[in-house]
Amino acid sequence: MKHNNGNQWIESLLAKYLYREPVMFDFQQWAQRYPREAQLLERGIEDFGRSHETKIYHIWRLIMESKITRYSAAAVIVLAMALVLLSPFGTPGNGGVVLADIQQKVNGIETMIIRGTKTFTHPGEDGDVFEIDGIKCHFDLVKYFSKQHGLVEEGYVGDELIYRITMNRPKRQTLLVLPRWKKYGTFTSTDKIMHLLENGTPKGIINLLMEIDYKKLGRDNINGVEVEVFEFQDPVTFTELLPKAIFDIQNIKGKVWIGIKEQMPVRVEGDLFIGKSFMTMFHELNLHEVNTFGDYNIELDEDIFDTNPPEGYTEFTLSDILQLIPVEAKAGLAGLGIVPIGLIFWKRHRRKKTTVKQQL
Amino acid sequence: MKTQSRSVSRDMMAMTEIEDQILVQQVLRGEPKSFGELCRRYYPSLTAIADSILLDHHLAEDAAQETLAAACRNLKTLKRPESFGAWVGTICRNVAKDMLSELPKQRKVAEEYSELKRDCDDCDHGMIMTEAVQQLPQHLREVVYLRFYNEMSYEQMAKVLGATQQSIDGRLRRAKKKIAAYLAKKGFRR
Repeated sequence: MKHNNGNQWIESLLAKYLYREPVMFDFQQWAQRYPREAQLLERGIEDFGRSHETKIYHIWRLIMESKITRYSAAAVIVLAMALVLLSPFGTPGNGGVVLADIQQKVNGIETMIIRGTKTFTHPGEDGDVFEIDGIKCHFDLVKYFSKQHGLVEEGYVGDELIYRITMNRPKRQTLLVLPRWKKYGTFTSTDKIMHLLENGTPKGIINLLMEIDYKKLGRDNINGVEVEVFEFQDPVTFTELLPKAIFDIQNIKGKVWIGIKEQMPVRVEGDLFIGKSFMTMFHELNLHEVNTFGDYNIELDEDIFDTNPPEGYTEFTLSDILQLIPVEAKAGLAGLGIVPIGLIFWKRHRRKKTTVKQQL
Repeated sequence: MKTQSRSVSRDMMAMTEIEDQILVQQVLRGEPKSFGELCRRYYPSLTAIADSILLDHHLAEDAAQETLAAACRNLKTLKRPESFGAWVGTICRNVAKDMLSELPKQRKVAEEYSELKRDCDDCDHGMIMTEAVQQLPQHLREVVYLRFYNEMSYEQMAKVLGATQQSIDGRLRRAKKKIAAYLAKKGFRR
């Protein structure tokens, strides 16, 4: 691959100043340095028990690769951070989750990348995946969290970026971008969003968590990692994360898995019921999500938290949205005075006229 | 022609993945030599990744060795043996970050030393280039190190980063742009 830009000259400089002779691996030397591992190799790893020490960084990799840990959502990520920072559930005890240790470890987290999936389904027993404009709403996610800059969530279907939500903390601005349609929407972050993004301190988080009901569910094992599971329900702050007209979060129920040995969060799962609102195109939906905690304290470029609309994109208009809203919801909106009733009927009338013309 | 070379490159990648898979299975059955072979394959890449985080070659070698020890202990949990390269790459990143967090004091001393050196030798191209690379975000610095440290091919980089060649190409382009901007800011002439 060749780059057709004016920066080719940098390659020769980089080659000149960075190049090193490839380092050779000496297996004998390594085996001397790590005798236990060498012994393990000799007897065959299939027989390897679980007596060896497991380090924290292994846990993240294990979980990241697990198929069962692949979901998430903006509210749940912040919730996870909040729960882990200073939740009221942990008590120091015999091999249990020790709150003080969790606080100490997680408090140092400035940035993190979380991966997963997010699935919207219709309420009911069948639970079909919600489909809108030909897109099945089962998204692969990447999230970037920065205490300093805010939160970005990207949702993909296959390789295609379907949406990006950017909550910029210093600017108090939220931007929603839909690349397929070249559309964007932007609004000032609500007090609740700011409250969550700004209260990254233990003291601030205590106040948020005082409202959460929780239940200790006992121990579990995820990919060989001993964890303690906690269940929480209906945290008020999160149900009011976004204006109800935009994203009407109701009935949050979730679980948090904390590694007992590592005293760190491993996984967060949430089930939300979302009422008719803009983000669901005025459908009632269930959202199932699980966070898998990945890379911590990595450098995140400030530019990714930019809330300026991208070039060539136009802002959402009512006309864009109306096509996707069910008729009964339109009637309801008109009744509430949110949408002018004339606009709905004009749109429907215009569509009919076009169809008639085509038939002729 | 281009399509043909891409297809050849894909085939080569698939071949190495199959080889990795076989080697991992052999290790699990108790053949230490196979683990040695895997280590030889990935040790240079791991050192480059660790160096891009730790900015210290000797520490980077330590991190690479610790990574291989961790990989050995956890090999049984590897669900996709063909992705061994990307797997050890991720472990290495975490090991290096872990080491970095444990070495704040040493890092501070090193930074002070580097500040001192900068004052007395401001025009040194090597120093400015090092700074230009160090100011990059970690994910960009990593690809720069892999590419120019051991002259690694895109195929090799893709394996150890678990990314596509296109995304690596994009990252390299962004890195070079940032380096060029930094050099221009410092009055560096071509």
